Amino acid sequence: MDLTNLESLKYFYPEIILSGTVLLLVILDLVIQNKRVLAPFAALGCLLSLGATLQLYGTSEGWLFHRMVVLDNFSLFFKVVSLLAVLLVIWMSVGCHEIRQIYQGEYYTVLLASTLGMFFMASSTNLLMAYLSLELVSLTSYILTGSLHHNRRSSEAALKYLIYGGVASGSMIYGMSWIFGMTGSLDYAVIREVLHQGEANRLTLFMAFLFILSGFGYKAVFVPFHMWSPDVYEGAPTPITAFLSVGSNAAGVAIMIRFFFPAVSHLGEGGNWDFIPGVEWPHFLLMVSMVTMTLGNLCALGQQNVKRLLAYSGIAHAGYILMGLVVLNNIGLRAMLFYIVVYLIMNLGAFLVVIIVSNATGREDIEAYRGLAWRGAAVPATCMAIFLFSLAGLPPLAGFVGKFFLFAAVIKGEFYFLAVVAIINSVISLYYYALIVKTMFLDFPEPTDQEVAMTPTVFPLLLILAIPTVFFGIYWGPLFHYTNQSLGFFIK
Amino acid sequence: MDHPIQTDYLRWIVLLPLLGAGINGLLGAILQRQFGKRAISFVACTPVVISFLLSIWAFINLLALDPEKRFLIDSLYTWISLGSLNVTVAFWLDPLSVVMILVITGVGGLIHIYSIGYMQEDEAYWRYFAFLNLFTFAMLLLVTADNLLLMFIGWEGVGFCSYALIGFWYRDHVNTRAGNKAFIVNRVGDVGFLLGIFLIYWSLDKAGHGTVTFREIETFVPLIKDLEIWGIGVVTLATLFLFIGAMGKSAQIPLHVWLPDAMQGPTPVSALIHAATMVTAGVYMIARLNFLYSLAPSTLTVIATVGALTAFLSATIGLVQNDIKRVLAYSTVSQLGYMFLAMGAGAYSAGIFHLVTHAFFKACLFLSAGSVIQAMHHEQDMQKMGGLRWRLPYTHLTYLVAGIALAGIPPFAGFFSKDEILWKSFSHGLIFQWALGFAAAGLTAFYIFRQIFLVFYGSPRADPHTQSLVHESPQIMVLPLLILAFLSLIGGSLGVPEVLGGSNRIEHWFEPVFGSPGGHENAPVAMEILLMALSVGIGLFGITLAYLIYLRKTLVADTFSSLAAGVPYRLLFQKYYVDELYQFTFVRGTLFFSRVGAWIDQYIIDFIVDGSAKTTTFISWVNGLFDNYVVDWIVNKIADSTFGAGDKFRKIQTGNINSYLYVVLGAVVLAIIVKLRYSG
Repeated sequence: MDLTNLESLKYFYPEIILSGTVLLLVILDLVIQNKRVLAPFAALGCLLSLGATLQLYGTSEGWLFHRMVVLDNFSLFFKVVSLLAVLLVIWMSVGCHEIRQIYQGEYYTVLLASTLGMFFMASSTNLLMAYLSLELVSLTSYILTGSLHHNRRSSEAALKYLIYGGVASGSMIYGMSWIFGMTGSLDYAVIREVLHQGEANRLTLFMAFLFILSGFGYKAVFVPFHMWSPDVYEGAPTPITAFLSVGSNAAGVAIMIRFFFPAVSHLGEGGNWDFIPGVEWPHFLLMVSMVTMTLGNLCALGQQNVKRLLAYSGIAHAGYILMGLVVLNNIGLRAMLFYIVVYLIMNLGAFLVVIIVSNATGREDIEAYRGLAWRGAAVPATCMAIFLFSLAGLPPLAGFVGKFFLFAAVIKGEFYFLAVVAIINSVISLYYYALIVKTMFLDFPEPTDQEVAMTPTVFPLLLILAIPTVFFGIYWGPLFHYTNQSLGFFIK
Repeated sequence: MDHPIQTDYLRWIVLLPLLGAGINGLLGAILQRQFGKRAISFVACTPVVISFLLSIWAFINLLALDPEKRFLIDSLYTWISLGSLNVTVAFWLDPLSVVMILVITGVGGLIHIYSIGYMQEDEAYWRYFAFLNLFTFAMLLLVTADNLLLMFIGWEGVGFCSYALIGFWYRDHVNTRAGNKAFIVNRVGDVGFLLGIFLIYWSLDKAGHGTVTFREIETFVPLIKDLEIWGIGVVTLATLFLFIGAMGKSAQIPLHVWLPDAMQGPTPVSALIHAATMVTAGVYMIARLNFLYSLAPSTLTVIATVGALTAFLSATIGLVQNDIKRVLAYSTVSQLGYMFLAMGAGAYSAGIFHLVTHAFFKACLFLSAGSVIQAMHHEQDMQKMGGLRWRLPYTHLTYLVAGIALAGIPPFAGFFSKDEILWKSFSHGLIFQWALGFAAAGLTAFYIFRQIFLVFYGSPRADPHTQSLVHESPQIMVLPLLILAFLSLIGGSLGVPEVLGGSNRIEHWFEPVFGSPGGHENAPVAMEILLMALSVGIGLFGITLAYLIYLRKTLVADTFSSLAAGVPYRLLFQKYYVDELYQFTFVRGTLFFSRVGAWIDQYIIDFIVDGSAKTTTFISWVNGLFDNYVVDWIVNKIADSTFGAGDKFRKIQTGNINSYLYVVLGAVVLAIIVKLRYSG
């Protein structure tokens, strides 16, 4: 199926609804005095878009808009993930004191625009489209990061992010131009065909891939393209940190899978993918994966600021997720998709507790969590313990199942050294997660520590995130089935 | 064996109390605040009453069937299906389990109703009833389970509820300690029970028919009859293990220590759990597996001996206790000993018969004791009571009836069942065990009448203030007492032996389960009557002795207690120092080992862990240094100079190269070099 512009519109409702919501939000912001309706309106738009996305399951798959974007189960999966992430983040934002100080209209408009960019990141099948979608997500992320006015940390973070992102995407488009030069096309399908004829210079191709990786890597946050993330995560408003850590991360992984698998690799027997001989990007990613998880975990050990700690933990998790790419088969990819969903739930949960604590105390350091369970916040503290232990990968929580699938894929692919490194890393990570749990439960509060009360807005959200973290740890069948189904790429 | 008849109402007998427990447990606090304690009582008592009515219905249904076909089954679903192991959640009713559910829901229901009055003042009313219902559910599950694993769930469930209810008034440290003790001692027994289950399954699996379902075990047990492990028959070993479990749950020596302490719980709990039902679970389990035990005669001898010893020794302890409930507690241990003696003699139906009558009169005694305790404002020391006969007329009456039943005086219920046991053990050739049981019968009569005389007769010894406030309990408490007393009076008619012109109906009722009674028909009738007369005689002697000492005071108690320099008295009063022995060996021993473990942990394990932790911290410290000093220093320098420059030039100089980007550049260059170096 290769549709023209007009024909494509029928399969484009999620994006249309989202764009419409963005535009309406701008107008509403101008005409409506009560800014509190903007968040529910944005959420409604996302829900409608989610409905439209689910409607598309089961319809035919194929190229839209003259092969600019593609409609397949894989892109639908990431649309659902992005929408879930943004919905939860909107809810978190409503319950966050930080966000109330900033311009609501701007905030939600940009947030939804960013989500739109993620849609395209997962579905682009054209180098230019891929670049544009990544830029859309980046630019909106810079704005969101710097949205706390008159906050030096926030502005500094936005600026660093901007500079870093500019260089990364610049180097990416440089690499893309090399590919265009070698193949004469921007279209993934054509690129694949030309590259597999074996005419291209291997070294040139490898360098081009490296340049492109710097752009993807900065979105998916892995070493050595990670250095922006601790500063940005610490400086950005917490809901945005949460959004970046799951949404933008997932989109980065999506665009990477889309490029490195259907576009430049060949699907062989039994779900194994073959890379172009002589262009050993998987070997490079293997090293990157190990370094990423190790560095992320080691740096997280000494952190005093919980947001910064979660940033480094996010880097480590990017390393784990990357393992699924290295093994070059569908088992690994499936494990990645599964882990992305699980990571979305548990990481958002952890950030939600950060918001609850910072709402009450205005602090983000570990000291602020001292004896949290005994300061009227037993439920958030318990949920936090669930999220952190799930992040550490302890059974019977969702994180354990996710890690199990990843490790199983790695071991099945006979990358034993990688598996050992990953397991050692899991052990190291347990230390800093457990340290927070210890602070919350075993340390007793000082008289100066404030009571932490929950607002009624965040309480249901806390449960919505905590229950699946436990549930998927016990009964992961349906989720596994769903990720398995989502592994359909439309190639030709 | 015929296929049992499928039904679909048995599940409700078991599940209704669970429903009550669920409602009261989850919403109880709200219900109690919104609608008062009446709502709680309603939610708690209704399911038990309906269960009781359904049990009667089931009983009638069984009665209508031919004796050989009296099996009802209600399968819910397959619970575990693993290889050869197939476990279903199924409830099973046969002549044995129907008697049990009638006792549980009947006596249990009365105790529920009694509790409405007894617990009226308690704040945690809803919690009490939630646990009581949960207990009823677990106990029903235990007796109706059609396989060992499901039975084990009920077994653990009653243990947990017992623990929760012993420590019900958890603010008092003594109560929680008693709860812990019960739980831990039971755990020792449970190990045996589990090992027994494993052994049965393992050996049957080896014979090609791995199963835990009772009926299938019965079918396939001949296959493993001759199987041996370490030179001991598998059946003997398995039954011994299971008996250890029964000893724990049914408080047999030496695992009896928890039961007297369990009296810290509310009195209706003592009546229901620690006298009428839960503690009889061990007896029930052995009766359930009678086909297995009958193949292990040496196990039976062990059981009979343990039972007889328990019956005798705990009766002697009961002689000198002063706490009204403790006397009853030791009496319970002693009576359970009788039941085990019956099991050991192969007289399963006599044992279950005694279980039933004991449920009646012991529940009645405990509830009456509860009535006394409440009247005396939670005074439990009998030395401070006396003369309550006129103040508590109904309680006095019921106590007296149940006491006579316990003492084994005809025609009260206890006489028939206890005598049946003594006769069966005698005719079975267990003379030594019979002698112990016989002596215990005299002791029993003595201690229960000592109690009755101390509490209800003589001059009041309470302080005048308490004395003035003594009052009879409300009707809702008296009614169950009267019903139970009535049952204690007539319960014996279920099993009047042939020699007294009865037809021993209960024995015939159990025939499909336990087989036809045999072995003692050839014993002379004269002998049976003689023994009967002897045991009545010793009972009357005990009563007379108690009368002379405590009422007439022609004999002085002190002359007995100072006998042989008071050593026997102290030995009894201190309960043979078993608790002290356990404290000294197991508790201290465990603490010693835990200290050794802690030492190893602290000095050896910690040394290793600390070493690796320090290494890791060091590496991360170096990493952190790099991040904090090198990277941040560069960033801050750049940021500072940028800020300064921006301040001057009113624009931000983004052209300054960021250190982050050097890293990217370096990495890319490195990757290309590696690529060139190693793969061309």
